[in-house]
This record gives sequence, structure tokens and C-alpha cells, in this order.
Amino acid sequence: MKKVLLILSIFLLLLSCNREDIIEPMPYDNPEIPLNIPHGFPPLNPSVDGNRPTKYGVELGAKLFNEKKISGNNTISCSSCHNQSSAFADNNVQAIGIHGRVGLRNTPPIQNLAFMKFYNWDGNKLTLESQPLVPIITQEEMNSSIMEVIGKLRNGGEYRELFRKAFGDENITPDRIYRSIAQYEYTLISANSKYDKVKRNEGEAFTESEARGYQVFQQKCESCHSTELFTDQSFRNVGFPPNTSTEEAGRARVTGIPADYMSFRVPSLRNAEYTAPYGSFGQFPTLKAVLDYFDNGVLDADNLDPILKENGNRILLIEQEKEDIISFIKTLSDSTFVGK
Amino acid sequence: MIKIIIKGSILHQKTKNSKMKTSTKYSILFVAISALISCSKDNDNPVANNITLHFNNTFKNTTIVLGDAASSTATANTSAEGQIHHFSELKYVVSNIRLVKADGSEIPYNISDLDKGATVVDHSKAQTLDYVLTNIPVGEYRQFKFGLGVKPELNTLDEARFPNFYAQAGANDTEMHWEWGTGYRFTKIEGFYDSDHKELSIHTGSTVEGTNGEPDTYTQGVDAYRDITLTLPNNAVVGRNAPRITINADFDKLLSGKTNTITLGAGNATPSIHTAANMVLFVDNLGGNGSSDISGMFSVSSVEN
Repeated sequence: MKKVLLILSIFLLLLSCNREDIIEPMPYDNPEIPLNIPHGFPPLNPSVDGNRPTKYGVELGAKLFNEKKISGNNTISCSSCHNQSSAFADNNVQAIGIHGRVGLRNTPPIQNLAFMKFYNWDGNKLTLESQPLVPIITQEEMNSSIMEVIGKLRNGGEYRELFRKAFGDENITPDRIYRSIAQYEYTLISANSKYDKVKRNEGEAFTESEARGYQVFQQKCESCHSTELFTDQSFRNVGFPPNTSTEEAGRARVTGIPADYMSFRVPSLRNAEYTAPYGSFGQFPTLKAVLDYFDNGVLDADNLDPILKENGNRILLIEQEKEDIISFIKTLSDSTFVGK
Repeated sequence: MIKIIIKGSILHQKTKNSKMKTSTKYSILFVAISALISCSKDNDNPVANNITLHFNNTFKNTTIVLGDAASSTATANTSAEGQIHHFSELKYVVSNIRLVKADGSEIPYNISDLDKGATVVDHSKAQTLDYVLTNIPVGEYRQFKFGLGVKPELNTLDEARFPNFYAQAGANDTEMHWEWGTGYRFTKIEGFYDSDHKELSIHTGSTVEGTNGEPDTYTQGVDAYRDITLTLPNNAVVGRNAPRITINADFDKLLSGKTNTITLGAGNATPSIHTAANMVLFVDNLGGNGSSDISGMFSVSSVEN
């Protein structure tokens, strides 16, 4: 008996060398939310597998997405720029953050991100979980720090319960904040536009103009705006007027490769109707302005996209074609997604 | 923490077996003490002392004096390409410090803890030019290794894990956070070049993406971390005395390095250099290219025992 006790006490003491006691996760019914993957969409980002959306994870993520406390002076939330009615983008030329500070680039829409391989205009992030820290600490966006955020959330009280439901205990950690926001974003899937309904034979049909637009689109736009996401997720320099900020270099800022200079991720065209202005820093107020620019000819560059180079640095379009393409792009608008 | 748990376990024993003999209690106490000892790390080397690293930032052999555009006191340097330049701000991160004993064994100094093993050398703050390594085991040391910057697996701006280094690097007068890359700036140099004092602003940092610490998974980006190896002119002897090692960081190498000779101009003198291959040219000059050059601008000028 004594021996047993002795061994037991040694064992307990050895355990005491560990820093934290092991807490059994409290069983809680937090079911995984199945992602409805639209037909023909590209494969999921591999990161989704390690962070499957759950009922309470998404609920927490949605609350954090709209939480202004994550900015230094409690004025800016994710949704301040990623506004649902604008397909989770906004309509400013460049993003506007804390104290009215103007960011480097145009706010990209948050939609169908579960299917993307790269995030942001320059693709500097490859997983959604590693993204939320960027706006939190960036001086032109939220100008805070993750521990400052956690301090505020701990004070609230209500968040502890939400973290417990989502993750099993009340611990508010950086990782859990990032993961829950990513889970929420994974559920923002837009695939219920007129285009989708036409494709799914749900009784809708293109108008004549939309049908003509779709044809021209397939000839003149689809080599980049391909797949059901309407982007091939490549980085290209398409000769748009450049952002003159010394901070801007496009994809080259990430890769250090001169051929990537002023290349940007081909944007999805889904819900483009709601996300004006267009271009990496909002160079174009309307879709028509974008098409006019391509028609008139883009700026030359050594690394100008080869497809544009082959076509004399332009995409020739007559006015009727522009009108038709815009009609077609508007069929990609998903009114339920933007809550209209 | 540990004490409380020991008490708890003894009480636990008592409730279960109130007849427990004193000898058993002593044996438990003995186990407790030895367990306590086994919890601490460094008792194998009972005698230890400090080593002070002193960073002397120079242009060739002259210690740099900072100054604004029109400063008459700032140290001016002329590059191999004949460009005159001086600095107004000069900062860099040192981490991943390892000391190599005369017998070749390596003593890592808090290499996985940026709070205890990393610092920002800021030329405008004299106290940052001396970095004291504490509790170094007695012995003779012949070599000294460190990183210019932060190795990828720790370069995540993880405030929860390393609050002190995060705060030191992120202070308003330091600005060594690289927000969009969620990493640290490794070097930050501000200054002026040519006779008309054009602005130079050279920042370096990593943009590698992938699983931290697993280079096979890095799919994009630039790793600006550089591992430096410096052999000491004479052994540093840690014992009754605490040695002081003076490291020269010769910023003449920035433009006139062992690897690259650089001419400053509109394309590379200001932050558009983040962009490019240009940044790597500066990084290789400052921190070596990792193969033929493993010291970059650094050398050890003296070891005082």
C-alpha cells in the first residue's frame, strides 16, 4: 500500500512539472455545419479541413466580424469595410479605417473564399486563419493588437460563453479568434445568381442582351475570368493605371520576383455589380469605365499579360458588346447573398 | 504552483491513510524535493556568468553618427559607386543566438523565446547597443552565431507568446512590425544619399508563406532571415569574469557588400524595394548570402575577458 502511494505521489509530482492542468473538454453539442459546395466550384482551400465550420464557431465568428472592439478606438469592425449589401466589400475607392485613414487598396469582397487559394490583391495570405491579424494591427485599418482585443473581449462577459460553446471552454485565445472568423467566412458562399439558376435549369433564361454578352465574355474575358468563380486565381499585370504609393508593387511585394511587379489577383466577377469602384485601388468608377479602358488600350510594361500583348495591348470591343457584357455580368449578382 | 500541488498530494495521502508513518512522509518529502530540482533546467552547470554583446555600428572603422538631411555632424560615407550617404535611423533585429565552446559544443541562448533571446538594436538608443546574455555556463567560447532577423518559425507577430519583444519591436519610435506580412521588420534604415540628400528608406523582412519552420511547405515569398557565424579573435572565457564581445556592424557593406555592389536610385532607394529582388540584394550584403558569405557586414573586433 505504501509503495503504491509512493508511486502515486511521484506520479502526481511529475505531473506537477507540467505548466497547466489538463482540463477535460466539456461535452457540448456543437455540430459541424456542412458546406453546400456549388456544382462546378473549384476544390476547397486545404485549410478548411483543419477548421471545419461549426454551429457556434460560425456564430462567434459572425459576432466578431461585426465587433468594433477589435479596433484600437472601438470604431471599426470587419464589416465596416466588408459590408454585406456590397457583397462584403464597400464602395470606397480605397479602404477607410480608423480615424478616417485611407488604406493602400480597394476592399475586396468576402465571398466564396473557401474555394480560393490566395487571399488579398497580392495573394500574400494562403489561409484565412492567418488573415485577420493583418487588419487588426495595420495602422490604416484597426490599429490595435491581438492582446488588446482579447483584453476587451474578456471584459465583456458575453464572449466567454460564446467561446465556451464554440471551443469547449471560456479561454479567449488569438487562435480561436482567427479560427472562428475564418469559419464564418467559409460559410459566405454566393451561388444563387440568375446565371446559376440558368445553369441549373431552374426555369430562368438569359435575355437577348445577356446571352450575347455571355458569348462575347467567353471570347474576350474568360481566359482570365474563368471557372465558376469567374477568376482563374492567377496574378497578372493588365496595364491598369498604377498606384503611385511607394508601398505598392503588386504581387512582387510578396514574391520578390520582378516579373510579378504590379501584378494583381484576377478578381472574381460574381456580385461585381455591387462592388464598384473597380481596380486594385478603385481606378474605375464603373464597369463601363473598365471596358472602355481595355478597349482604348492599356499601359505597356515588360511583364504585361501575354494575352494583352498578343492583342496589341487592348481588348477591342464595340459599344454594343460592352453593354451586353455588362448585362451578362449583372446576371452574376446574387441578391439573396447581399440581403437585398 | 508546484508547492501547492505537493501539499495537496500529501493531504490527499493523509485522508486516504491516516496511519501513514513519519518515515513515509519523509520519503515523500524527499521525492518532492528531488522532483522540484528536476523541474529546473540549469543545475548541471552550477557556475555561470554573463556575456555582454556590444554592437558597434560603423561605416568602415568610424562609428556612425545619425543625422537629418542637412546635418553637419552625421557620419557621411561614400559607396564603391561613389554615392555619398548618411543615416537618420538605424535598427536591426538580433535573435537565435548560439555560443560555440572551444570543444565545438553549441550553447543555444533562448533561441525559441523572443522575449528572452531577441532584441532590437537601435543606434539612437545607447542602452540597446549592449545586449547582456545571462547565465552562460563557464567555459571557453570560440565562436558566436546569431540571426539577423527572426527565423521563419517565430516570425509571426505572436503577441500572446512573446509580449515583451512584440512591444519592444512595435513601439512608436521603433516600428519594427511589418503589418501586412504579419512578421517583424529585420532591418530599418532611413537616411539620405547624393549631394541633394534624396531620401533612402531600406526595410527588410520575410514574406514566406507555408507551415512555419517547414521550408518544404514554403510556397511563395522571400526569406530575409540570415544566419551569421563569427569566429572570435581570442576565446571568450566565462568564469569569474563576464566577457564583453564587441561586434562591428559595418554599414558600408549595405551598398558595397561582398555579394552585391548597389547604386541607389528611384527604383530601389525607397520602400518600393519591398518589392523586389532589390530587397534581397541589400539583405545579402547585410547578412551574407547564407553560402559563400556567412558573416555579411558583421565581424568581431574584440573580446575582453
